[in-house]
Amino acid sequence: MTSIGTGYDLQNSVFSPDGRNFQVEYAVKAVENGGTAVGIRCKDGVVLALEKLITSKLLKPEANKRIATVDRNIGVVSSGLLPDGRHFVSRARDEAADWRRLWKGPIPTATLANRMGSYVQAYTLYSSVRPFGITAIVGGWDSEADVPVDGEVGSGPKVGSGGKKEGAHGGPYLYMIEPSGLYWGYYGAATGKGRQIAKSELEKLNLSEGNLSLEEGVKEAARIIYVAHDDNKDKEFELEMTWISSVDGPTKGRHEEVPKEIREEAEKLAKKALEGDDDEDDEEKMEE
Amino acid sequence: MNHLPQAWGRPRDDVYGAYDQSHFQMGGPNQHTQSPIVTGTSVVAAKFKDGIVIAADNLASYGSLARFTDVKRLRKFNDQVVVGFGGDVSDMQYLDRLLNSLDIRENYGSDGTPLNAKNLHTYLSKVMYKRRSDFNPLWNHLLIAGLDGEDKPFLASADLLGTTFSAPTLATGFGAHLAQPILRRSIPDEAAVPNVSREEAVLLVKEAMKVLFYRDARSMDKYSIAVVTKDGVELKQDEKLESQSWAFAEGIRGYGTQVN
Amino acid sequence: MASVFSGAPPQSGPGYSFKQTPTEAPSGTRQHGFYPYTDNGGSTLGISGADFTILAGDTRHTSGYNINTRYAPKLFKIGGEGPDNKGASIVLSVVGFAADGEALKERLDTIVKMYKYQHGKPMSVAACAQRLSHILYGKRFFPYYVHAILGGLDEEGRGALYSYDPVGSYEREQCRAAGAAASLIMPFLDNQVNFKNQYVPDSGSGHELQEKPRTPLDQNHVLELVRDAFTSAVERHIEVGDGLQVMIIKKEGIMEAFHPLKQD
Repeated sequence: MTSIGTGYDLQNSVFSPDGRNFQVEYAVKAVENGGTAVGIRCKDGVVLALEKLITSKLLKPEANKRIATVDRNIGVVSSGLLPDGRHFVSRARDEAADWRRLWKGPIPTATLANRMGSYVQAYTLYSSVRPFGITAIVGGWDSEADVPVDGEVGSGPKVGSGGKKEGAHGGPYLYMIEPSGLYWGYYGAATGKGRQIAKSELEKLNLSEGNLSLEEGVKEAARIIYVAHDDNKDKEFELEMTWISSVDGPTKGRHEEVPKEIREEAEKLAKKALEGDDDEDDEEKMEE
Repeated sequence: MNHLPQAWGRPRDDVYGAYDQSHFQMGGPNQHTQSPIVTGTSVVAAKFKDGIVIAADNLASYGSLARFTDVKRLRKFNDQVVVGFGGDVSDMQYLDRLLNSLDIRENYGSDGTPLNAKNLHTYLSKVMYKRRSDFNPLWNHLLIAGLDGEDKPFLASADLLGTTFSAPTLATGFGAHLAQPILRRSIPDEAAVPNVSREEAVLLVKEAMKVLFYRDARSMDKYSIAVVTKDGVELKQDEKLESQSWAFAEGIRGYGTQVN
Repeated sequence: MASVFSGAPPQSGPGYSFKQTPTEAPSGTRQHGFYPYTDNGGSTLGISGADFTILAGDTRHTSGYNINTRYAPKLFKIGGEGPDNKGASIVLSVVGFAADGEALKERLDTIVKMYKYQHGKPMSVAACAQRLSHILYGKRFFPYYVHAILGGLDEEGRGALYSYDPVGSYEREQCRAAGAAASLIMPFLDNQVNFKNQYVPDSGSGHELQEKPRTPLDQNHVLELVRDAFTSAVERHIEVGDGLQVMIIKKEGIMEAFHPLKQD
């Protein structure tokens, strides 16, 4: 913590002489303590998963959902300060609604990520505010089918002027937005406590090849959350998972919670994989 | 063209007449919708044993001109409710967008019971009444079809004045005159509803649509029909009226060959 | 140069629209194509007795010559528990423009419920009656187009009945008919409830003639009057019919009954 005592970390929006905004870096620290969140961009959809740390035994299991929906086709999961996450979601929903009012259709995931990046960035510019203490993963499916304009009543001309343009569009999108406002599009994104392990696991999936199916993605996401969780150090956790499939997939282009059966199956496999790892370790030790 | 920039691009009064600037007035009394422009005609609906059948044709008229022939006037809400719109089409589109944003916001609450037809009717009738009270009405007559909170068939109407009512069979516009008597013959009261099967109700509503096509000049033979039950909404938007017979027209003076 | 762009239009040459720009709105009254009211027909009536009040209304709902529905209640319990108004002791009947009636009922109901939450006791009918008057008068210049009748029991347990005009004038009465068939029913009520034009037989003529003394009517008798009033109104008024909704308010609570009327 080279910043301590220099005075450059006492106010937001102020640079240190070597070009850093310490308040933003402290915000990143807040994120690093949060439960691990993971997003995987699969060929036919997006999976979001969260290691929801149980802060009290008095909390009702499976209640208090943390992954939020924006419009119908976008999911947001964040790690860090929970209230900041909720404000982020609230703003994202307003952005999506404003977009709809203007364009009579759903906001593209890329546009939402861009707008939210700008919004988060603005909180690094003023002394009267503090940066967001979250890193948010935004996943969405932009419809590949012709989406009717809201309130559209007819199908319009079939050919010629005003006719529909053929060709592929839409698809899965995944973005991660950091406290600085920095955001990139990712094949796989991870944040929170277990992000390092999660990222190395994500890399092994070769997501850039675009072969991973949504169903496999769900299993991988569950496994990664379990791998990233540290049984000894961390509190107990619940796995929360949502997904967005293509229009002809299981969620019909909507952001929904992964059905309980599928999630539990994925968790079973995740636990089994972990035990397998332990066995291997044991065997290795035996050999030694 | 002359050297006076104020005049550039403006129509000369001696050629086109003076521009009526009253359209450009900002002050003074506000003009709101005084009459519908592009309109849809009747919506008809009937209750049956375990749901509702509702239908409306796919025509939007501009006065007596059949202007748009592919206009879907039945709108689905959250897979449990269908709203049928009669009257102004742009106001219908406004309401559709309103319902769309309502549906999106409803889904933000993670769980809880989704809005049913009864809830939606209450909501829409308050929207309609508010707008009439502001002297800025939404020029529509709506039928809301679905189930109530107890999973019983629900069918009710709301119009541009905010008037609401519910009945085992309903029809808006011309249908109130032509279709309603036919519908009431089969389903006279609430007690008759449990004895009506889905097939009977569909047939009845289709028959009503046919009568409307024969006699309503602002109707057409392509229509949408929806059946709402506990299992959801089945909406068909490209139906065509079948087994038409214009034989009766022969005998009508001014309709067929007989002119005088 | 600035004068070229902001100055008055050229004095010579052809006329352009900006020269004749009207500076005020076109004179004369503007016609409004939208009329915010309609009449949904039907009739209501109320009679108060010694320890009860009866309110009744037909359930036909019309627009012009159309019957919209054969069952649209015009009687509403006010200020009870929950959406069904359990335990209510006040009834409001509204006839005229049904949408306004619905809105009025909703407002009064909310107010009476709030009163109970805030004061821990139900509102008296007298207070409710005056509050209703204020609600109506509050929209004096865009009135609720309804004739309201409010019924309940007063603080002494006697039947209380209040009737209103659309802008809030009100009066406690023995009996009142309102709505489409009011002019048919009211004279009948005058005669049968207040014994107008009824005299004691053989009491003489001229100044000797004695009016029939007014006595509190028995509940069953009143109910008969109500049903007769409506069966008669149905015969002569096209907007009245289909069904009769009756509510009897007594200290034990509100009894509700439905009787079929002719549907023609």
